[in-house]
Amino acid sequence: MTLTPLTRKLTAEDAAHFLRRTAFGATDAQIRALVGKDARTAAREALAFDQTTAPGNPFDPMQGAGPGPMIQLTRGAWLFELVYGPHPLREKLALTWSNHFVVGTDKVRNVHALAGYLGLLRRHAATASFERFTLEVAQSPAMLRYLDNDQNRRGKPNENFSRELLELFTTGIGPYSEEDVREGARALTGWTFEGGRGNQNYLEPSRFVFLERQHDPGRKTYLGHSGELRGEDIVRLAATHPRTAAFVSRKLHRAFLADTPDEAAVQGSAETWRRTNGNVRAVLEELLASEAFYASRARIIRSPVEYVVGALRTLGQPKLDAKALLNLTQTAGRMGQVLLQPENVKGWDGGREWINDTTLLLRLQLAAALTLGGKAPPLTAAPSALALTGLERPPSAAATLKLNPQQATYLHLISPEFQLA
Amino acid sequence: MTNRRDFLKLSALAAAATTGMPGFLARAAAQAGGSKTLVVIQLTGGNDGLNTLVPYSNGAYYAARPTIAIPRKDVLTLTPDLGMHPALRPLMGLWDSGRMAWMENVGYPNPNRSHFASMAIWHTADPSQAQSDGWIGRLAEKIGDPFCASNIGAATPQALRASEFSLPSIDTVENFQLKLPQGLGGAFGDMLDAARSGEAAFLTQATRQMMKNTARVQANAQKYRSGATYPDGKFAAQLRDTARLIAAGVGQRVLYVSLGGFDTHAGQRAEQDELLGTLASGLAAFHADLERQGLAENVVVMGFSEFGRRVAENGSAGTDHGKGSVMFALGQGVRGGIHGSSPDLEDLSDGDIKYRQDFRGVYAEALSGWLGLNAREILNGDFRGPGWLA
Repeated sequence: MTLTPLTRKLTAEDAAHFLRRTAFGATDAQIRALVGKDARTAAREALAFDQTTAPGNPFDPMQGAGPGPMIQLTRGAWLFELVYGPHPLREKLALTWSNHFVVGTDKVRNVHALAGYLGLLRRHAATASFERFTLEVAQSPAMLRYLDNDQNRRGKPNENFSRELLELFTTGIGPYSEEDVREGARALTGWTFEGGRGNQNYLEPSRFVFLERQHDPGRKTYLGHSGELRGEDIVRLAATHPRTAAFVSRKLHRAFLADTPDEAAVQGSAETWRRTNGNVRAVLEELLASEAFYASRARIIRSPVEYVVGALRTLGQPKLDAKALLNLTQTAGRMGQVLLQPENVKGWDGGREWINDTTLLLRLQLAAALTLGGKAPPLTAAPSALALTGLERPPSAAATLKLNPQQATYLHLISPEFQLA
Repeated sequence: MTNRRDFLKLSALAAAATTGMPGFLARAAAQAGGSKTLVVIQLTGGNDGLNTLVPYSNGAYYAARPTIAIPRKDVLTLTPDLGMHPALRPLMGLWDSGRMAWMENVGYPNPNRSHFASMAIWHTADPSQAQSDGWIGRLAEKIGDPFCASNIGAATPQALRASEFSLPSIDTVENFQLKLPQGLGGAFGDMLDAARSGEAAFLTQATRQMMKNTARVQANAQKYRSGATYPDGKFAAQLRDTARLIAAGVGQRVLYVSLGGFDTHAGQRAEQDELLGTLASGLAAFHADLERQGLAENVVVMGFSEFGRRVAENGSAGTDHGKGSVMFALGQGVRGGIHGSSPDLEDLSDGDIKYRQDFRGVYAEALSGWLGLNAREILNGDFRGPGWLA
């Protein structure tokens, strides 16, 4: 069963909901501009992004005086794009993919490797071919380094990437055996990169290379297919495996529908995925225009980055200086989400895992700093309750009646409603 | 459930805490839960047990690891066959005084080489992977106090997941307090009081719990003065906060600290050496601190990792995911020594050691022997372990 499309024209709450999920949130004017549209048009327009970026990005990772500062600047540049960029859905998808095809700056410490990886996530954000996307990620210096396939040689296999390709990137646990992991590693021998190795060479270009003499050319059996399989075959067989459709669709549902996805709806997307041979754009267009999408309200706990970016976009993208933006990347980190550095290759679990005493305290502090603090950006017109909470009459409305606009905005920002999407 | 009035009382308490208000809440909780504390150390990523507790008299060990084995001359000798990795030297004092235990060859049936599946098994104490609650979460529900166990760090591990409530994560004790902007206490209470369901109700509940927990910690934490010099770094800082919470006597029975980075697929020596150094210097300072506070007899530390690594090194001077590893414990309450027998490195299963000791037996000793709880109910079965407590 594919997903049922929404037939009504978007109401104000529908529009606010759509923008919370696809644009981190929005101003009242942006919400009004969507009211009355049909859901398919809204989804199609949001997905029609190109690769243009926000002008005036103050962060240039090439200026980093060492790998550490370079990585800080990379994070700052991404946050700038998340907050001020013209295509928030592209960035939301890039963030989602960075939590799927995970790499981490604990190991990936080269400016080109990181930029190349982020560029891939943006270009393939709504990819027409998940298989192509997977192949390009598998051959990116960032992934080759992060999961050690650059060390995977004939006679000396390293299974790290081969395992995670199946367990985390394509089929998920279930349809493969330990033997498949080993055979996949053999087929992926010889895939490595050249250039940009070592702390000193963090600014040097690096690129994928295939070293024939390090490749194990023998016969292998992988996911039920036998032959003299090569790395490309492994990636294709994993990425196009029938179970991949549901496994990756479930992640899209987690990003856009609910922390605890509805399995029937996931299977609907998986069917579209299989019918279109892994056309993520088609899956997303159907998903973001579906009844299921519009019926699923307040079921995603915003991640730290979504919380920060959501607050700033709802406040109308106030201009913050570079230092303040860098501080915000660190604040998001203390709340549990360092951009490009999930705790491990599984990525952030998200949902209720974002919430504990410490992260709640930080959310309260951040909301105060953005609205009431001495350095809070000026608030010319307070966002409406709808823009802040997604609801025209939120439960917290009564509590804000006697407050000034800054205080009311603060209280909304720390309400459960704002923290959900 | 707190109501608005409770909230106002709690914020008054939090405000008064700094001026020396008696911690009656804390004392009541401590009485309810006993005075012993278990500190769990998680080594994330799969710590290589063979290079931690080194079988230095075993030729098969050196044959399997031509480049990354710990040379015999570097090993810190414990027994005629076993010794510690040289980076663990700060723990030698504890070993020599009989306060450090190693549990050999620990694992579980049908081992899983996925980090996440295996970690979930250690967290839930359920190799069938049917449970989603953690063993410490279940322990907390048994005690009935959502503050009797805490994680020290930003993200709460699954081990502390409970079905009825969420156990706190305390990133730093210093910042673990609620400071609402002037004049907004009432509005904040009204906002929380509004009726909600689903995830919104979860967030309301989590916020109320946070208000209780922070008040409880701040009521007592100011008393602590560190009794030892801790090394730099996050792990040591988290251990210092652990000592601080214990010294504050806020009634926590289990505290949980993690050290990550043990997934040493390549260039293992440099990485693991540094991590074990961090582990050992942090734990040595922690123990010294507790001794000076007069609290050492009430605390034991138990450490684990989700799996060990393959016996043979790989082609990248590292090791891939394996099965079975060592656990350790330290403290005055520990029966020092090596518990259990070493794995046979010439009789392997798929390149891995064959475990002999189920980790749930090691947990059971901590639960029943140290915390005085019914291990059978928490672990859903009878598990026998080595008697690693004195």
